[in-house]
Amino acid sequence: MPPASRRTPRAILSRFDELSAAIGRLVVSDLETRGALRTDVLALIDHVPAREARACVSLRLVAEALRPDRDRGERQPALHRAALALLEAVRTYLASPKASDRLSLIEGPERSAIAIMRNLPEASPALKPRTSDLIGLTDRRPRSVVARADSLPALALPNDTDRSLVGDFCDEAREYIESAEAALLVLEREPDNGEAAQTVMRAFHSIKGTAGFLKLDGLVALAHHGESLLGERRHGDGFAGRISALSLRALDALRDTVKNLDASRNGAPLAYPPGFLDALRELEDIDAEPGAPAAEPAGPRAASAPARDAGATHSARVRLDRLDALVDLVGELVVAHWMIAQDPASGHDHPERARKVAHAGKLVRHLHDMSMGLRMVPLRGTCNKLVRLARDLAQRAGKEVDCRVEGEMTELDRNMVELVADPLMHMVRNAIDHGIEPPEERQIRGKPAAGCLTLRATQMNGQVVVTLSDDGRGLQRDRILERAQARGLVGPGEVLNDADVLDLIFAPGLSTAQQVTDVSGRGVGMDVVRRNIQALHGRVDVQSTPGQGTTITLRVPLTLAITDGMLVRVGDERYIVPTTNVVVSFRPERSALFTVGGRGEMVRLRHDVLPLVRLHRLLDVPGACDDPAAALLMVVGAGERRCALLVDSIVGQQQVVAKPVTAGIGDVPGISGAAILGDGRVGLILDVPQVLELARRAQPNTQAVA
Amino acid sequence: MSAVPGKYLTFFLGAEEYGMEILAVHEIIGVLPITRVPRTPPFVRGVINLRGRVISILDLRRKFDLPAVEPGPTSCVIVVAAHAAHVGLLVDRVSEVADIAAGDIEPPPPLGAGVRTDYLVGIAKSAARVRLLLDISRVIDAGDLAAAGPDGGAPTAA
Repeated sequence: MPPASRRTPRAILSRFDELSAAIGRLVVSDLETRGALRTDVLALIDHVPAREARACVSLRLVAEALRPDRDRGERQPALHRAALALLEAVRTYLASPKASDRLSLIEGPERSAIAIMRNLPEASPALKPRTSDLIGLTDRRPRSVVARADSLPALALPNDTDRSLVGDFCDEAREYIESAEAALLVLEREPDNGEAAQTVMRAFHSIKGTAGFLKLDGLVALAHHGESLLGERRHGDGFAGRISALSLRALDALRDTVKNLDASRNGAPLAYPPGFLDALRELEDIDAEPGAPAAEPAGPRAASAPARDAGATHSARVRLDRLDALVDLVGELVVAHWMIAQDPASGHDHPERARKVAHAGKLVRHLHDMSMGLRMVPLRGTCNKLVRLARDLAQRAGKEVDCRVEGEMTELDRNMVELVADPLMHMVRNAIDHGIEPPEERQIRGKPAAGCLTLRATQMNGQVVVTLSDDGRGLQRDRILERAQARGLVGPGEVLNDADVLDLIFAPGLSTAQQVTDVSGRGVGMDVVRRNIQALHGRVDVQSTPGQGTTITLRVPLTLAITDGMLVRVGDERYIVPTTNVVVSFRPERSALFTVGGRGEMVRLRHDVLPLVRLHRLLDVPGACDDPAAALLMVVGAGERRCALLVDSIVGQQQVVAKPVTAGIGDVPGISGAAILGDGRVGLILDVPQVLELARRAQPNTQAVA
Repeated sequence: MSAVPGKYLTFFLGAEEYGMEILAVHEIIGVLPITRVPRTPPFVRGVINLRGRVISILDLRRKFDLPAVEPGPTSCVIVVAAHAAHVGLLVDRVSEVADIAAGDIEPPPPLGAGVRTDYLVGIAKSAARVRLLLDISRVIDAGDLAAAGPDGGAPTAA
């Protein structure tokens, strides 16, 4: 949206001024003028730009305060003053669309107006403002909005809906749904946790409010019932499993609808997701049971500040592409500064300049840390999703699982969070499906009936380590080996140690599941997990003790934006090897080099024997050093595979901003990206797992890269 | 698809003059140091640093199977936007921006002279000159390029 259109038209603001003046002149006993002014205020709401929905809430409150049939006693002047103050606050609010905390402009006056209205004599209880009135909902029960017919009015947005408002609603709703889901899972364990219940109710309530603005009646109804589900009855018979399951279904239905809404902004047809009507039906039925209370509004605070949780630190919504552009640019700045620092002109001969460059460097690094921090988000959202998944899967499989999460506040680059979520889901599926035994089997083995699944996240050495442990049956070494031999992954006479056997679960096409279920066991899974994680410059390892459980460990860098690399020279070319893949580098003695018949070149390093890979041959580099004893061997590894890469020399260690090279070329095997080097030229970043794979294929009849 | 009349950027490869729609052209730069990218087809010269962006350079001579020459003093890179990315095209010499009228455009001959006809969308004849009009997005065929690598591999880190 162009900046100019964010402004509320001047004509509307001057209308505000006229109304303010009129309210200021208002005489308490002049009911007729009061009524007329109220109508004027309501009319004004229609002229407020649709995106300023929040202001409309306040204006409704002003209109409410002006209701002529309201109390005529001593409080009336105070109510007038409150209405006037609020009206003026709304004007300021509308006139300053860019103020940093503009919501606070109207919140204060709003609270005072509500306080006065709440304290009016009970004589006219119908006049007490209900939150649902204020946010534009009709007073009737949503049951009448959605008649108990077989059909739901088609999901549609009014023609004049501001599309950007829909986008905001979707973002906001997703956040609420996520927090509500997490809180529900807490409630399952601690049914008396009032705060969690509040969170869930507030989420439903807020979604209901905004959906009301957008005239999405179906959503309003669903959210309304979702809210009342957790109302008073919670204190009665406790937090029953049925309520929790229903609430989760309601959230799913909401989430799917929001997804459709979001997609509709790009032209997708808009419709309720399948299952929506069923969920609504069920909620209505439970709500209609005798004794079910109507939803109590979650309080004026929740209604008046839908975008903010109480006590949360203030935050601003920033478009992701802008954030990404900022982070990229800062990354470039780091590299650009490095170039200046490397320039001999800022060296020791010019101490004054060197000091300035060093100072700038400090600022640049600081800026870099800060900008990276902007994109860091806690893993909590992902953890919640995984716990939810584990719970659902266990239920379906008739197993009992106790999920524990540790370190959920560990932060990771936003882009990474999305990329590790899928592999983690695979892992959870495997753990529930194959790892944890059914309760009877567990009891026979002397274990508690409920299996334990622990998800632990920590940050160390610039990496995030996520482990998923179960106390299930563990991996069956013999079965894995059997399968691998049947599939030809392991030769008949080959001897493997335990770690090698376990590592086979990451081989493509290997599944030890005795039966294929609908969630896992189709023979795809762990190989995809490893591939995805390696694409992130991370690694996956597995440990397992038969009968006691399995632990899978993921290690990924904090961010993909910056790669720590070793710059190596091969002939006239330079390549970057990600430091995470580098084990050690050394110049071999001639005696350490040998050739195994038909198995290619090998090199001995202490007690290890490693395949030797001539990088220049793999990459067709002319003029490179061909004698390992005169050059350098760099031992690189990915997963359990290792090899010694022959390079001419190491130029140095450098942080680089990884960029794709695929534009116009397509994927290049062995190369994961490109980066601008200190001299302004482009250097290519080696994709070590792919290099190992290329080397293996280059010597097809060998086990060269073991 | 046939060529539409309008402004064309014309350039030379050897003695042949080609034209591409000016709208596709992002900028024209000199030849910057190129980093070779291994395991790519010969017409992929490599990648360059264009003000902090990594863009790939395709050699149009090699792409069109013309005799290869090393870049000389008049060589230029035409940066074009295609398939949601910028790609540089190495040419021998940039000629001019020409207005090509509908009446000057003839359909491409069934057999192109040296150029694969699927890139050619027309031939413009004017003032005793013949220009071969290219559909640049077909020259930089994303599918063609992606298939150039022997296998897919992992997605590239962004």
